[in-house]
Amino acid sequence: MQQRYASGTVGALIDTNFVTPVTRQVLKERMAMAEAKPCFFDSPAFDLLSIVCDRLMAQDSENRIVNVALFIDERLKNKTSDGWRYNTMPPDEKMYLKGINGIEETANLSFKKPFSQLTISQQTEILGAIQKGTAEGAIWKEMESPLFFEELLTEVTEIFFSYPLVQEEIGFVGMADANGWVNIGLNGRDGIEPEVIISNTP
Amino acid sequence: MRSYQNNEIVDVIVIGTGAGGAPLLARFAKAGLKAVALEAGKHWDPKADFATDEKEQNKLFWNFERLSAGKDPIPFGKNNSGIGVGGSTLHYTAYTPRPHPEDFHLYSDFGVGEDWPITYFDLEPYFDELEQFLGISGPSPYPWGPPRKTSYPLPPLALNGPAQLMQRGCKKIGINTSPAANAALSAAYYQEHVGWRQACTNRGFCQAGCSTGAKASVDVTFIPLAVHYGAEIRPECFAINFERNGTGSITAVVYKKNGKEERQLCHNVFLCAGTVETPRLLLLNNTANSSGQVGKNFMAHVGLQVWGEFEEEVRPNKGIPGGLISEDMRRPKDADFASGYLIQSIGVMPVTYAAQLARSGGIWGEALRTKMQAFNQVGGINMHGECLPDVNNYLELSDELDETGLPKPRIYFTAGENQKRMSIHGEAVMRRIWTEAGAKNILSHHRNAHTIGTCRMGNSGDKAVVNAAGRSFEVPNLYICDNSVFPSTLAVNPALTIMALSLRTADLFLSQKN
Ligand SMILES: Cc1cc2nc3c(=O)[nH]c(=O)nc-3n(C[C@H](O)[C@H](O)[C@H](O)COP(=O)(O)OP(=O)(O)OC[C@H]3O[C@@H](n4cnc5c(N)ncnc54)[C@H](O)[C@@H]3O)c2cc1C
Ligand code: SF4
Repeated sequence: MQQRYASGTVGALIDTNFVTPVTRQVLKERMAMAEAKPCFFDSPAFDLLSIVCDRLMAQDSENRIVNVALFIDERLKNKTSDGWRYNTMPPDEKMYLKGINGIEETANLSFKKPFSQLTISQQTEILGAIQKGTAEGAIWKEMESPLFFEELLTEVTEIFFSYPLVQEEIGFVGMADANGWVNIGLNGRDGIEPEVIISNTP
Repeated sequence: MRSYQNNEIVDVIVIGTGAGGAPLLARFAKAGLKAVALEAGKHWDPKADFATDEKEQNKLFWNFERLSAGKDPIPFGKNNSGIGVGGSTLHYTAYTPRPHPEDFHLYSDFGVGEDWPITYFDLEPYFDELEQFLGISGPSPYPWGPPRKTSYPLPPLALNGPAQLMQRGCKKIGINTSPAANAALSAAYYQEHVGWRQACTNRGFCQAGCSTGAKASVDVTFIPLAVHYGAEIRPECFAINFERNGTGSITAVVYKKNGKEERQLCHNVFLCAGTVETPRLLLLNNTANSSGQVGKNFMAHVGLQVWGEFEEEVRPNKGIPGGLISEDMRRPKDADFASGYLIQSIGVMPVTYAAQLARSGGIWGEALRTKMQAFNQVGGINMHGECLPDVNNYLELSDELDETGLPKPRIYFTAGENQKRMSIHGEAVMRRIWTEAGAKNILSHHRNAHTIGTCRMGNSGDKAVVNAAGRSFEVPNLYICDNSVFPSTLAVNPALTIMALSLRTADLFLSQKN
């Protein structure tokens, strides 16, 4: 992936007065969380979920910015909800455990191998089939795979883009707003906001 | 803060401290009534507690699980439901347009929907009062609607990137626009008994809580006023039950605090817990439902959003998110639907935007990462359009329990034909505006916004839950005042109207009492 913004912008700002104390605390706790150990999922389930999260966010599993699965584990352990779920879907804990088994089942049926041993393109193919509702397997007859995929993808996306180093990658330093913003119109850049280093117009 | 004993019979208990609960609480306290507010959530100190971080600020949302059913299931939580002293105003975007007189008689005009038992002009003095008290920033004269008796007290906030883009696109195709009315201060503002509130610093973070106090959420406006006049606010007190006497009147509200049940004696109850929690509480206790209308006609505005990527840097996270408005589509001439809609520019934060690309665009992997690289060039516009009441859209109690130990509500919602047509119309108009403004890679996000209805007001006890004064037809000392009493949605963001109804409900109650 092409890098549009320089690295290090968030790191350079986080300990300055541009970031409020409460914001700094939250961001630092989040970065520390990324070192935690899973406790809701057993280790095979956690490893599989970690790889699935990597595919969804196009991360290199050997060189991740953040393991999203840790944050899902943490939420399920704490039994917190986001306020709603589709009436036709099981509760989140059950949905995740079932969904992970479903992914493994589809991998075995499609390629006769566990999901973790498939190539990236095979893994991507399986996740695509789950999104479309064409994946093989008995579990997807009990739980609608497109809805599972939508719920999973949305949670993974929210966690990933909440991570400070990922925000840095998209040129966002909105967390450094203790003094507010001045240049808010089109092409208005405030001094601490990063500039594009490689430009490709949309 | 003044406080009352549970066994002291207070004049009023207000359940919920959001847009509906806070204004009437302040009114009652000012009139010298003994008033206690029970609020399920915390009482935050925005400066110390609100981080500039979307994920952390999820603490402002009602995250007890609800079940979303029907063909267009409504996402709750961060999409529409708040908790804490201030309710959903803690995270509202601060759009405060007024409804128009014709919004109140949709049935008379179109033969569909409902007429309200009151008119725009019953609420007009309250709109005037609210705009002054809250310190609304907006243009005077306002280009749409009937002439006004008052001007906005502050000039409009500066236009951010998305607002400038909408202005550019609309100009090219002859759609009128104006800087919008927003409940955020364009200059420091003094409120009697509240003090000075500082001007908006363009953080753009309104939907995740305003840490500067510039946004007129009710926790920094009506709540301090209520406390000044002697009201007691009890945070983290969850109302679960009513005790009633032989005549059916409520004598006490039972609530949970720190896991223990307590009961506060009272003469009157004002239920202001919002469109989902108000009917849930009534259904749980089989109260005020002789009409069978509690939970019925759940509504949500047609809220389609259109996003585009621009050559310019937009940096959509900065500035008041909803800077520009057009009300030209309130009654479009070429409409094949009843009523109409507003168009508003929208800024956005990265997590919210990314989650939309994921959930509604189904975008992931490299495609999502690449798309998010253009975040600083993204701008949005959205519509808020009338949703017609429909008996097939309703709330019921499920047999699953939520984290509070009460049955989860299940809410059915399917967008009707009128909404579908309006959404198609709005999408075409907004895509044209965005194309003219120079947008590439335009994406639409279908959405139903705000939670409205479920305890409608009306003239007759067999068709409505409360009368035009907000009083239950069945329980003589129970009043409801929140988004649930709306008989129709009105083609406008709801908070200002809820607050106006709240002040009116209080004044009617006080005048009958005297
Ligand atoms: C992200 C977002 C943006 C929005 N933007 C705008 C906007 O720009 N303009 C606009 O007009 N509107 C906007 N809205 C909508 C607006 O905030 C709501 O319509 C309005 O606040 C609803 O008022 P209410 O009194 O019905 O409920 P709420 O404001 O939600 O208040 C209900 C309160 O009751 C409490 N409660 C519930 N049950 C209990 C119980 N059993 N015991 C004790 N307390 C209880 C809740 O905790 C809550 O504090 C937005 C909403 C969201 C979510
Ligand atoms: S944009 Fe203004 S009103 Fe909104 S959160 Fe920021 S300071 Fe508060």
